[in-house]
Amino acid sequence: MKRSHLLLAVIGIAALALFPVGFHNPYYIHLVETIMIYAIVLFGLDIVVGYTGQVSLGHAGLFGVGAYTVGVLVFKLGASIWLTVPAAILITAGFGALLALPALRVSGPYLAMVTLAFGTIIQILINEMSFLTEGPLGIKLEKPELFGHKLDDREFYWVVLVLMVLALIVVHRILRSHLGRAFEALRGSPVASDCMGVSVYRYKVYAFVISAGFAGLAGNLYAYSEQYISPNTYNFELTVLFLLAVIMGGRKSRIGSLVGATIIVLLPKLLDDIEMFRYVSVALAVLVAVSAVVGIRRGKSTAQQMAIPVVGTLLLAGLSFKLQSMTDWRLSIFGVITLFVVYYLQDGIVGFVRNALNLKQTSVADQQAAIGVVKGDAVGTAAGANAAPELLKASGVLMQFGGLKALNNVDLVIKRGSIHGLIGPNGSGKSTMMNVLTGIYQPTAGSVAFAGQSVVGRTSSDIALSGIARTFQNVQLFGEMTALQNVQVGLHHTFASNLLDVALRTPRYKRESAHAASRALGLLQFVGLSDLAFEEARNLPYGKQRLLEIARALALDPQLLLLDEPAAGLTAPDIKELIAIIRKIREHGVTLILIEHHMDVVMNLCDTVSVLDFGQKIAEGKPAQVQADEKVIEAYLGGTVAE
Amino acid sequence: MLTINNLSAGYGKVQVLHGISIDVPKGKVVTLIGSNGAGKTTTMRAISGMIAPTGGDISLNGKRIEGKESYDIAKLGLAHSPEGRRVFATMTVTDNLILGAFPRLTGSRPKGDVAADLDRALDLFPRLKERRTQLAGTLSGGEQQMLAMARATMLNPDVVLLDEPSMGLAPILVTEVFKIIERLKSQGVTMLLVEQFAAAALAVADYGYVLENGRISVHGPAAKLRDDPAVKAAYLGGGGH
Repeated sequence: MKRSHLLLAVIGIAALALFPVGFHNPYYIHLVETIMIYAIVLFGLDIVVGYTGQVSLGHAGLFGVGAYTVGVLVFKLGASIWLTVPAAILITAGFGALLALPALRVSGPYLAMVTLAFGTIIQILINEMSFLTEGPLGIKLEKPELFGHKLDDREFYWVVLVLMVLALIVVHRILRSHLGRAFEALRGSPVASDCMGVSVYRYKVYAFVISAGFAGLAGNLYAYSEQYISPNTYNFELTVLFLLAVIMGGRKSRIGSLVGATIIVLLPKLLDDIEMFRYVSVALAVLVAVSAVVGIRRGKSTAQQMAIPVVGTLLLAGLSFKLQSMTDWRLSIFGVITLFVVYYLQDGIVGFVRNALNLKQTSVADQQAAIGVVKGDAVGTAAGANAAPELLKASGVLMQFGGLKALNNVDLVIKRGSIHGLIGPNGSGKSTMMNVLTGIYQPTAGSVAFAGQSVVGRTSSDIALSGIARTFQNVQLFGEMTALQNVQVGLHHTFASNLLDVALRTPRYKRESAHAASRALGLLQFVGLSDLAFEEARNLPYGKQRLLEIARALALDPQLLLLDEPAAGLTAPDIKELIAIIRKIREHGVTLILIEHHMDVVMNLCDTVSVLDFGQKIAEGKPAQVQADEKVIEAYLGGTVAE
Repeated sequence: MLTINNLSAGYGKVQVLHGISIDVPKGKVVTLIGSNGAGKTTTMRAISGMIAPTGGDISLNGKRIEGKESYDIAKLGLAHSPEGRRVFATMTVTDNLILGAFPRLTGSRPKGDVAADLDRALDLFPRLKERRTQLAGTLSGGEQQMLAMARATMLNPDVVLLDEPSMGLAPILVTEVFKIIERLKSQGVTMLLVEQFAAAALAVADYGYVLENGRISVHGPAAKLRDDPAVKAAYLGGGGH
């Protein structure tokens, strides 16, 4: 963390800690307390929404589970806060796992509907299970005791503050770790995550469980804070507010969560008070007008773009003086503001401010120096050099899609340490073969053995971890992550640290993390991308994206590397570099399967070439042999080749 | 026909193009060559409005188009066959092609005879004709590429941008694609072509520009560029197959 950031954080926390000393009004203390509690929920929700890119409308339900865990434990057993906090976290995390189950099968609007149903069911259950929850009557409870001393409002506020800061630190550490990268990778490309040994199944469940744990903690504090819980609180409206807060504040940002929590707590209150609303709407109009002028001057936005927000906020300010009372207009204004934010600030308020200030980043060289390239060879030497010479053996592979046989009885034997070319017309089944080998497709019939073990029926991530890495014909990078982070996802398998190691920053985690970072940089250097290490993958040109995929695949320390059209879109000089890179990979004992249409690459590199046409192997042999084969010329090479 | 003057563009904080000027005269084929990351695709995307240029101007038929939305630029007669195909996967081949003529059907461009043009496009690509009722997503990569090119012609465009039409295609199809470009040229279609096979691109083109790190380093008649020793060494050496 940068020193200036640390200083700001300390000032912020100190201000929050001193707040109840300066303001004695319990109403305001309670308000800030609620903001902090909501912020804890949002930290967790951001993991699911911001990082893994799933939608959850079930978080109000989880929040309710946390609250009712406390309510029931206190009401039935008179449990202390020492018991209720861990219980709320654990029980809610369990419910989070339940919520994750639908996320494994459906996504988008369907997931939204299922999670919404989940939240509703929880609310109904709380209402109906009167024997446990007292039903609609709700449960009253008092502020907790700590060390035999019953906390007053102010003291409880500080407890919330401490837990909020702890939650902030833990969530921040998780999201900066290999776990956070795994979550983000799911959003970028689930297929690629699996093929990097990061099981989509497992990490989706983790994300929901961790997220629910935070919701449980927050629910716990909320119960103590309100001193009364009833089923109606944890309704659809609250869940939508949570989601809005993440979007408005800015996803993938802890400050965003804090801002979002502040907005959803304060905005409704603000709209109660006409005086206050006038001040704020005028301030807002001035702010928007000023940033519009700055934006236009810097050439970042046009007058047309800024017209609507400026006029809109001016109108709002005018309206505020026209209105005599707010009560009738409250909801409409709240709705308009929400629309405005969602429409104009798609990166949330934090994202907008970051953009507007154009925060300077440290130079690439400094960042590289901070990480340090790994000493020695970044590319791992493939395991099993002395094992059986047949690394991969596929026999009678049949892959049927409806009536279409994409692969029809294909046999393929790959010798350890060789470069095996796989060529054939477009649509002949080459990529299908790759997908069968990496477990994305399960073959209709036939067997595939890798290093003596069957691959069929195993998950992609399991196969990846056993030593098969790949790149994709249609580039599958984690677009919002930097080049370095993309490679670090490939290095996920080098981490033995668990959640506790990450939260506590144990020496083991620090060691693994530093090593992964420097090795990732080393791998980028290997493919010639170290200068672009901190650039988001989606901003790289196409050819560099392909190289990045190779670096990421190498991070798996594979025995077998499948390259699917690595030279597509490369010009002659780039192809020369690529050939050199592939040769160097082979020197590390890695076996390669190469799908490629550039015959110069195939002829230059491959020891053996297999040719597919209409899902069948029509030729196999040394490159020169295959090139002269009549069938291959007719189906694939053609007479005279463009040159 | 298409004139680009001092164009700059980039993504986020990364500036890719630093003031390039290109002229594509009517009925001519102009090619843009350069290594990876030089800015070829960025140029194409800036012209067709997929990204907003940060400076310079672009005019099509004398009308300024820089900063306009892609759909408006298409209405003015510019068709873009993008890198990586981008066909409408869940629609049939025929529907993909008819969508290419969308501005003509809505009256933003002269209508002409869409049905006749559809037949003509399918005749130009016999493989597509065989598969015209198939969903585009089920086509092989090469067929999708042909579909993207055929779709671009359906606009009856004044200028076609072809970005890497031969990428990921079997050698036999690469030859085919260049034959098609040749045929389009003979029909008088104005094209701006970006190609990994620089030699083949210069063979079909009338004029060429070499892009280096977002700047034009050399330009001239295609035949002359082909014989330029520097261009030869950097872009043509051993690049074919």
